[in-house]
Amino acid sequence: MAEPAAKTAFAEEALTHLDTLYRGALRLTHDPDAAQDLVQEAYLRALRYQHSYQAGTNMKAWLFAIMRNLFWDRFKGSRKEDVSLDDVGEFVLYEKLRDEGARPESDVLDKIAASEVVTAVDKLPPLHREVVLLVDVEGFSYKDAAETLGVPIGTIMSRLHRARQQLQKSLYDYAVESGIVHSGGMTQVPQQ
Amino acid sequence: MRCEECATKLDRYVDRELTNTEALEVQLHLEGCPDCMDNYEFQEHLKRLVKHSCDCDTAPKAFRDKLRQMLS
Repeated sequence: MAEPAAKTAFAEEALTHLDTLYRGALRLTHDPDAAQDLVQEAYLRALRYQHSYQAGTNMKAWLFAIMRNLFWDRFKGSRKEDVSLDDVGEFVLYEKLRDEGARPESDVLDKIAASEVVTAVDKLPPLHREVVLLVDVEGFSYKDAAETLGVPIGTIMSRLHRARQQLQKSLYDYAVESGIVHSGGMTQVPQQ
Repeated sequence: MRCEECATKLDRYVDRELTNTEALEVQLHLEGCPDCMDNYEFQEHLKRLVKHSCDCDTAPKAFRDKLRQMLS
């Protein structure tokens, strides 16, 4: 059992990563109450197993791994088979917008609301969503993401590639539906 | 470097996952190729958009206080 001072220091350091864990839990569960339950249980488990944490290593990754493993145990019964992604083929938003004359392409991104991006991320299957959360949102390296999720780096790269294609397709569909771009024709990106 | 090779390495360049040598090769290509530079800036913009859209959620203060109490 850890000494009280060590336990307090560990808890304090662990709490500096609370926002990362909460965001991850929220994006995985889609429910603030469930996210809080999940994060709370993750912290209690981390405290119980703090002897297995090696000081000086990546605590954020260690905590995230505990949280996401609890998520899979609790919500998915440890079954990590994923809903397959829609087959969007090689969808590259930049090329799609350029082909349709939406120039400058980056202006289209400025018209997309943050809430639509979150919706597009939430629509990704969990095994792909968690890679986007780690690499794109939390800035994990491929190596740290691979260690956190317990998969090879190649799996991180392939999931990330497919997730980004699906994400770009969702954002493109939204841009067409909302009139930001017009499918199949020249597009004038409206200025705000 | 040809544009096709640059395109295959762009994801890892944006993610800062290339070796120093590979990153330098991509950088040199981008500096001489406006089309690939446009694509690169778009991919950077897209990555920033995803990050900033998803990282604004923070743990509620009451929850943080409750956890601190539980862990102390």
